[in-house]
Amino acid sequence: MQNPYVPIPVEVVKITTEVDTKDIKTFRLAFVNKEDEAAFRYLPGQFAELSLFGKGESPVGIASSPTQPGYLEFTVQKAGVVTSALHDMEEGTLMGVRGPLGNSWPIEYLEGKNIVVVGGGFAFTTLRSLTNYMIHEDNRKRFGNITIVYGARTPGLLIYKDELAEWGKRTDINLNVTVDKGDATWTGKEGFVPAVCKEVAPSSENAVTVICGPPVMIRFTLPVFFDLGFSKENIITSLEMRMKCGIGKCGRCNVGSKYVCKDGPVFTLAELDELTKEY
Amino acid sequence: MEKRLIKKDTLADIIAKMAGDVLVYAPVKEEDNVLFKVLEAGMKPLTRYANTKNAPKNFFFPHTEQMMKFTRTEKGAVFAGGEGKSPEAVLFGARPCDARSFVLLDMLFDQDKYKDPFYIEKRAATTIIALNCVHPPYSTCFCTSVGGSPTSSDGVDVALTELGEDYLVEFLTSKGEKLLKYFGDVKAGDAEVNQRVQIGEQAAREIKSHIPAAEIKPILDVNFEHPYWATIHQRCLACGTCTFLCPTCHCFDISDETKGADGVRIRNWDSCMFPLFTMETSGHNPRPTQKERWRQRVMHKFKYYVDNFGAIACVGCGRCVMYCPVNIDIRKIVEDISRL
Ligand SMILES: Cc1cc2nc3c(=O)[nH]c(=O)nc-3n(C[C@H](O)[C@H](O)[C@H](O)COP(=O)(O)OP(=O)(O)OC[C@H]3O[C@@H](n4cnc5c(N)ncnc54)[C@H](O)[C@@H]3O)c2cc1C
Ligand code: SF4
Ligand code: SF4
Ligand code: FES
Repeated sequence: MQNPYVPIPVEVVKITTEVDTKDIKTFRLAFVNKEDEAAFRYLPGQFAELSLFGKGESPVGIASSPTQPGYLEFTVQKAGVVTSALHDMEEGTLMGVRGPLGNSWPIEYLEGKNIVVVGGGFAFTTLRSLTNYMIHEDNRKRFGNITIVYGARTPGLLIYKDELAEWGKRTDINLNVTVDKGDATWTGKEGFVPAVCKEVAPSSENAVTVICGPPVMIRFTLPVFFDLGFSKENIITSLEMRMKCGIGKCGRCNVGSKYVCKDGPVFTLAELDELTKEY
Repeated sequence: MEKRLIKKDTLADIIAKMAGDVLVYAPVKEEDNVLFKVLEAGMKPLTRYANTKNAPKNFFFPHTEQMMKFTRTEKGAVFAGGEGKSPEAVLFGARPCDARSFVLLDMLFDQDKYKDPFYIEKRAATTIIALNCVHPPYSTCFCTSVGGSPTSSDGVDVALTELGEDYLVEFLTSKGEKLLKYFGDVKAGDAEVNQRVQIGEQAAREIKSHIPAAEIKPILDVNFEHPYWATIHQRCLACGTCTFLCPTCHCFDISDETKGADGVRIRNWDSCMFPLFTMETSGHNPRPTQKERWRQRVMHKFKYYVDNFGAIACVGCGRCVMYCPVNIDIRKIVEDISRL
């Protein structure tokens, strides 16, 4: 029997500091064994337990896309024991990964539809995975228009800056990057995510919104999408609960009858309405 | 299925003999408590006792369990080996309610997609000999309200029933039949089985606690926000006794321990009654007070488990009722909910 608790060995091959406060870094992890790489088949929206022997494990969304073979990426904010230890690591370190875990963004459902991606702060990780997946040349024609609204408090807090610049050059993405407050060098949009969504006003016709961000952002953005005519079936988000096992055993992460680790983390608003508000 | 009769006073010796061949877990007296323990060489198990204080889940899902070892290298700590094979074992003396708890735990730990090898391997390596209840041992027993009975065979490999001076020994599974050789050659027949059935019916009639456990699920479905939830937890000390003693509670924590260059990853029982159970690093806690934690405990047993597995996650053993230091009684809570 394969033991789902035993982490897959990986090597940290690249560390990118994403923000000027230096507390958010992206870790690129390469599989030590080729067969593990082949077996690790995932979709955007899934997560993994990052495993540091001696420190513990943390669930983190997979920020790379399955269209990027050879490695996995995770963007992690320094928070407690495990994430701080991760931030102290250097390239070349060996660590572990358990996964892929959880469901994913509903790729089949998204196919043929116009996709609106809304992200705030560093909760853009699995949305980045989804975006890179959709705009890959093999996949782009499977999806309709792609509209992105991504915001951070300041320009220095935007993550994936180089990639955003690349996406901005493409004509097949309607990219809207915004900051709450710009600085001397900022030439882009200023304004909160809900306001920018209202301004961009994506049509709800054959469209789905995928949204991740701080609770306040979500609270103020949802009414904008309801006004635009998006149904609760077509607004999709990802939940976070404290986790340990990641496979529905340790009993920690349930919201009602659903375990966020195995039945989630991705839910439509319609599905969340069916659940208790205990998250 | 094979059936045997043995003399009552030979049982302890039979089990002690088994303990010379395989690992045996059995009830023994320790100070004032009857506890399931590993039967050491030369020890005899108790055969007359009400029930054990601890549930037997410990043998498949230990309070503390080593999951794997790791060792530090120049490039970081790496996996250094899993657990050895689970030894062949016999669990003697489980009451039918406790034997049933394993059927419920199997549903969680042994799912099609997600399997827990630590539990599954120990469970597979262990044969369960249950001691049927000729009389319900406590006034708090309510197995018949949650799908069990004093002679339930769910989860049982070998069932023992006291019949006068004898025990009827029923080998219910092929795993159980492997223990045939310990139980002599006096065959039992339909007459003894009929006797067992009657004893079971009589014992069921003697059960004093009856609660509408099977009826509250639709009420729980629509009453997550009911003011009733604010009325049960005030006395609760969040000690976790109820969940630690419960044969069906399965929540755990995972943590690492290091010593020099080596270390182990272990899991420990955890409890939804503990404030930190769901506390996130940010300080956000989706279950901020004991009210939400108690609601979780009730919902998990009587609604969520039913939603997910079609079974109530309580076997009616009454341990949580007997040992709660502030006398919170799950029977009364179920009763109250049925009248919401
Ligand atoms: C599905 C999912 C995806 C996530 N994706 C990301 C991401 O892309 N980037 C990122 O920076 N963070 C993400 N998080 C949050 C991240 O898991 C926590 O910040 C992290 O576990 C904190 O661990 P720690 O050891 O540093 O903190 P400590 O306070 O020392 O944590 C102790 C342990 O508690 C658990 N824990 C504590 N807080 C959380 C939490 N909010 N969520 C889950 N488990 C928790 C973990 O097992 C952790 O190891 C995600 C959480 C979930 C559930
Ligand atoms: S909830 Fe109480 S009565 Fe039910 S199985 Fe657990 S300890 Fe026994
Ligand atoms: S045993 Fe009683 S006091 Fe302790 S956590 Fe359970 S309900 Fe609360
Ligand atoms: S993290 Fe253990 S049940 Fe979800």
